[in-house]
Amino acid sequence: MSPHEIRILLVDDHAVLRAGLNALLNAQPDLVVVGEAGDGQAAIEQAERLRPDLILLDLNMPRLNGLDALAELRRCVPQSRILVLTMHDDESYLRQVLAAGGAGYLLKQAADKELLSAIRTVYAGGTFLHSEHAHALLQPAPTADSRQDEALAALSDREREVLQLIALGYSNKEIAEQLILSVKTVETYKQRVMTKLNLSSRAALVRFALRHGLLDDLLA
Amino acid sequence: MMPIGQRLLGRVEETQNQVAGVSVRTKILGIILALTVGLGLWMTLQVRSQMMRSLVEEMENRGQAVASDLAVRSADYLDQGDLPGLERVLRATSSNHSDVRYIFVVDPTERVVASSFEGTTPVEIVELTGTTPLDEAHHLDYESYGGMTHDFAMPIDGGRLGAVRVGLADSRLSQHINEVTQQLLLTTVLVSLGGILGASWLTWLVTHPIRSLVRTTERVRAGDLSARARHYTDDEIGDLATAFNHTLDELQRSHDALAEKEAARTRLLERLISAQEEERKRIARELHDDVGQSLTSILVGLKLIEAQTAHKALNGQISALRHISSHALDTVRLLSRQLRPSALDDLGLDAALQRFSSELKQRFPTVDVDIHCYLPQRLPAALETSLYRLLQEAMTNAARHSGGRSIGVVVMQRTGSVQAIVEDHGRGFDVTATRRAGSSVGLHSMSERAELLGGQLRIESNDDGTTVYVEVPL
Repeated sequence: MSPHEIRILLVDDHAVLRAGLNALLNAQPDLVVVGEAGDGQAAIEQAERLRPDLILLDLNMPRLNGLDALAELRRCVPQSRILVLTMHDDESYLRQVLAAGGAGYLLKQAADKELLSAIRTVYAGGTFLHSEHAHALLQPAPTADSRQDEALAALSDREREVLQLIALGYSNKEIAEQLILSVKTVETYKQRVMTKLNLSSRAALVRFALRHGLLDDLLA
Repeated sequence: MMPIGQRLLGRVEETQNQVAGVSVRTKILGIILALTVGLGLWMTLQVRSQMMRSLVEEMENRGQAVASDLAVRSADYLDQGDLPGLERVLRATSSNHSDVRYIFVVDPTERVVASSFEGTTPVEIVELTGTTPLDEAHHLDYESYGGMTHDFAMPIDGGRLGAVRVGLADSRLSQHINEVTQQLLLTTVLVSLGGILGASWLTWLVTHPIRSLVRTTERVRAGDLSARARHYTDDEIGDLATAFNHTLDELQRSHDALAEKEAARTRLLERLISAQEEERKRIARELHDDVGQSLTSILVGLKLIEAQTAHKALNGQISALRHISSHALDTVRLLSRQLRPSALDDLGLDAALQRFSSELKQRFPTVDVDIHCYLPQRLPAALETSLYRLLQEAMTNAARHSGGRSIGVVVMQRTGSVQAIVEDHGRGFDVTATRRAGSSVGLHSMSERAELLGGQLRIESNDDGTTVYVEVPL
């Protein structure tokens, strides 16, 4: 066993895939598969026993599923790097994996092309992401900026009231009834608020209202 | 101007409507009162005039008799010239008949020779007969202070010795008639009072069951199908109550049957939906886990073979196979997610909706979807699934039909409920007409899902766009 070999634990419930991966990885001079597990529970037991350098982890598994196993593995074998190999290309899964301490996220449909480089990147201490995912993650999380604060100050009392009611989930008709206006007028106020705040949807209005604490006194 | 006949007809009709408008109680009371009072008055008048006629007749006979008796008796006194004797006879006769006002005897020159009056006989009474010849009996009525006075003149000895005049007052007669009339009127009033009491009782008897029936009808209208009319009497109204109760029984039966059917339909729908969802889940999982893993295995295996062979032509073929496998894997993944996104089970509604919105953006590149999902914890699985399907439908409709550029989705947990809103700024549509036409299966299925969750779905739409509001209890 050469000291430069990367010791890998394969975790996937599909035996045929495990065999294929085993063969593929073992064919590499710097990689060696030291163990295999078919479910999350077995993966934790194996990892504690083998202390691998890297764990190749599937997310869909019987008994303990991948995400829960991931968190548990980080706790038991913190020195092992974890690369997730999955069919899910949802950003939400990716975020969960990264939040739980996964070092890489690889899609199975790219396994043939990117697996080897991903393993080496992650082992070297880097993070491996699919290029599309990296792009999505780099999107700045929307934050309140000073221009919106100014815009908020520019709202009239009526506009602010309409904004609050929209954010509370009232329908245009209900807002019209509550403020004793016509539905058309409510619609106009809403458009004006959206223009002033440079927002294009109800969802954005709700987010804005929550972020700026417009509902605090109403929700309490 | 309207002809008088037509106006009269109009007036009659108006009165008829007024009369028809009052309650049965008033009608019956009115009829009975009118009958008693009318009959009483008619009888009083009838009796009064009958009495008047017969009493007057009797008085005339009496006056005639007194006058002719006195005429015979006066002849002797006059022949003998015994005028004081005559006066005594006159006075005695006068005091024997209480209604005699006066008696006097005139000579052929119409000068009073004897009189029941103490002093002189009033001239106006003497001259009453005026031109009437003395040799004929006659009778004259005139008005004097005390009422009617009947004056009888009877010639003495054919008028040779003059005539006897007797005046009878009918004041006692009138008094008598008035007394009888008063008594009759009193009787009428008493009978009327009795009539009113009787009528009141009668109307209560008649209207009480009707009122009770009306009250029952009102309870039924208010939705209480268990209300039944009480059977008070065995008459037509009792029959009506029985018939009404039978109708209610029938109504209750069909209502129950309908409710049962509706409940069965709901149960079936629920089972259908959950069965469909289970089936989708199973197939999606199978595709994802089994087919997907197999394809990945093929992919990895091909990679291994490719690495181990130096044969160039073979390598080209292997590369092509890898490409096909990879494509197949993509397809399987997409199919699996479209059937049922695993994110919905693994991560929850928010993630599944985010995922669906990015798919929607791929299908409709001009549409921008903005989702704001605020759920502090995972919702019950069945609720998540239903809400996901419902919002999926609403979002797809908005992207496909509204023509708007942006779709806003808000999902928020409230105390005891979850509210979801899908809003677009497209062209809007006529919600009522579309619903009524029954052409939109999507709208219908959204409503059904909301109702199955015990919630409600509202759609507001106008030129500025459409908003779908869903609220379901937690």
